[in-house]
Amino acid sequence: MPEEEGGSLIHVSIKAEPLFHIGPFEFTNSMVGALLASIVLLLAAWYITRRSALVPARVQSLLELPIEWMTGIIAGSSTRWKGYVALILGFFLMILVANWIGLLPGVGTVGLLHEDHGETVLIPFIRPASADLNFTLGLAIVAFGVFVWWGIRVNGAAGYLKELVGEPRYMAPLMFPIHLISELSRLISLSMRLFGNVFAGEVLLATMVALAPIVVPAVFLGLEAVFGFVQALVFSLLAMTYITLSIAEHHAGGPGHENGHEGEHEEHPNVEQHPTDAASVQVQPQS
Amino acid sequence: MEGNIAAGLAIGLGAIGPGIGLGIAVSKAMEALGRNPDAAGQIFVPYILGIALTEAIGIYALVIGLLLIFVA
Repeated sequence: MPEEEGGSLIHVSIKAEPLFHIGPFEFTNSMVGALLASIVLLLAAWYITRRSALVPARVQSLLELPIEWMTGIIAGSSTRWKGYVALILGFFLMILVANWIGLLPGVGTVGLLHEDHGETVLIPFIRPASADLNFTLGLAIVAFGVFVWWGIRVNGAAGYLKELVGEPRYMAPLMFPIHLISELSRLISLSMRLFGNVFAGEVLLATMVALAPIVVPAVFLGLEAVFGFVQALVFSLLAMTYITLSIAEHHAGGPGHENGHEGEHEEHPNVEQHPTDAASVQVQPQS
Repeated sequence: MEGNIAAGLAIGLGAIGPGIGLGIAVSKAMEALGRNPDAAGQIFVPYILGIALTEAIGIYALVIGLLLIFVA
């Protein structure tokens, strides 16, 4: 592309570009990335379940490694980890694959030439799904729904509202909006963090390829591989922490109850569904 | 043009705070790791979470910069 046209050397589009239309819907290149990530995950799952052995071979243990490692971390988060381990693992693997697809050769460079306002721009066939705000916002909405649902399920709807209102009841007019905004800001920061990091990574790679196309991009490709992993980890760990927090808010009765309560979990798994039962089982000075 | 200057200022100034914060967080984590290398597994998750929450502020600046360039 000619260098005289300012800005056409590095073409950056903040939103995913449509490839073709199906009726009123646009089929964008980030959808191709998301589909590709899903296909990779499905193939890995198919492979691992078809030929799984008790003593894993090389490929199988490679595929099992992130799952076992992540499950270990999630299992340490709370006693009810089995209720959300699948979701968090799904977040982690999907974001990891979606991020790393953006590093494959040809992903941002092979595409259609398109006339736009008199200048020719390249619309790549594949755009990594997490460089599209729709994808990250969708994941964040799922995470948000799940941690609110866990909060309501563990504390009850009234208990969840009570958490939002806060402890001294007369401060409610001030604290309720603050708590509400802080809940909603989790949604924004979860989605914006992932999108911002991956998109900035793509822009960085494009800039480096345009400036020094020989050796320099390799360094940044390695950096982006690490960042893709870290961002997948950060998103899933934050989602896990939010879920753990909304479960643990039930224990906020007093600092001394924590250990006694944990012990109750092992014997009565459904204690938390019935807060009144838990109160009668435990010797609590005030409930 | 003003949008580009504003975007540069936004990301440049907005990166100062998270940069200092990340430096403090990493130095403290390394310090803890040096004192007690066995605690690496326990430090790891809170460390990643703290890094992510600190970095989010820099990402906000980046988003503002992107908005200034592409939307405004």
